[in-house]
Amino acid sequence: MTSSDALAGHTFEELSDYLDRDRTPADPSIDGSPECQTALSGMQRLRRTHRDLLLKDVQLEAEREDSWVTSILQHISLEARAGRDIPISHPSPTARVSVTEGAVRGILRAAGDSVPNIIVGRCRLDGDVTAPGAPVTVRVDATVLQGEIIASLADQLRDALYAALRQHTELAVESVDITIRDLYQIPVPAGESEQ
Amino acid sequence: MPTTSTREPVASPLESFTDQILADRAGDGDMRAFEVLVRRYGPLMRVYASRVLGSNDEMDDVVQESFITAWQQLPTLENGAAVKSWLMRIVSRKSVDRVRARRQHVNIDLTDAPAPAQHSPHRLAEAGSQTEALTRVLADLPEDQRRCWMLRELAECSYGEIAEELEIPVSTVRGLLARARKTLLQEMEEWR
Repeated sequence: MTSSDALAGHTFEELSDYLDRDRTPADPSIDGSPECQTALSGMQRLRRTHRDLLLKDVQLEAEREDSWVTSILQHISLEARAGRDIPISHPSPTARVSVTEGAVRGILRAAGDSVPNIIVGRCRLDGDVTAPGAPVTVRVDATVLQGEIIASLADQLRDALYAALRQHTELAVESVDITIRDLYQIPVPAGESEQ
Repeated sequence: MPTTSTREPVASPLESFTDQILADRAGDGDMRAFEVLVRRYGPLMRVYASRVLGSNDEMDDVVQESFITAWQQLPTLENGAAVKSWLMRIVSRKSVDRVRARRQHVNIDLTDAPAPAQHSPHRLAEAGSQTEALTRVLADLPEDQRRCWMLRELAECSYGEIAEELEIPVSTVRGLLARARKTLLQEMEEWR
């Protein structure tokens, strides 16, 4: 099996590459050679055996108690995402109140999640949010449930975002730009009959 | 940060979100989206780490370090849809670093991981599990072949991603993968 003569003029490397390309485009000189087919089926068997073992191991890991998840979450910090401080006025001249950019993003996500059939992804605040009254543009990526009317959902989302921003911040929002990046489908829950 | 706030159960809709949305939201600071990613890919990352490390001893540490790095660097990830292979590359790097550190620690003269004395195919056939057998055969591969093969078969990285990760040309990736497969195939024929 070491010489390429035994593989109808192909090297093992070519066959390995062919397998990884999902055998496309089809190569008749490989597909028609019994030697190549033997080598390919061996590689596929190796992959299948390995995938089976891997799935089993991953399944075992997934079923373990999840103290490791807790531990990971305990070691990450929201401070890394705080961003800029956005001032909020206060009746007392000595009090200084601000809300972080990260918190405002959280508010935008929460407001977005209250609108059904649309999911908010990335949120950006463009403009000098640290200066009171400075014009700010809010840019939001969203994904819409397939089959829904995109424009109407985008309007609902925009209204919800404006309302949340008015309620929680004093930002001078010039516009809320929503980019629909993708459509999603209703996921079928595995092993559940509710859908 | 108070730690108790992270323990809310994951709301069910988030679990069905695509990788892209979860990665984007986690990049923006959505910890619950991050938790879903941890649950979605953590188990595979744990298996990956344990295969590279050859044991479960340091697996928790390596996977934890990987996710902490991921959390810090998520805002720089441009294509959220590729978060899986991105995470796998992080855990691959951390695992290899750990093995290297361990090796340096033990003895610089022992160039390679000490292979178990009883290493014939016959022994492999008797190994407690096929996973164990595979792990041992893998351990015998040269490091570059092993890393290549694992990035391909466990992490499902593309040739291009592997080349970038290992800083080698794609043609070298192709050659390393073929050699790894050939060896594994021969070994597998023997313990079948």
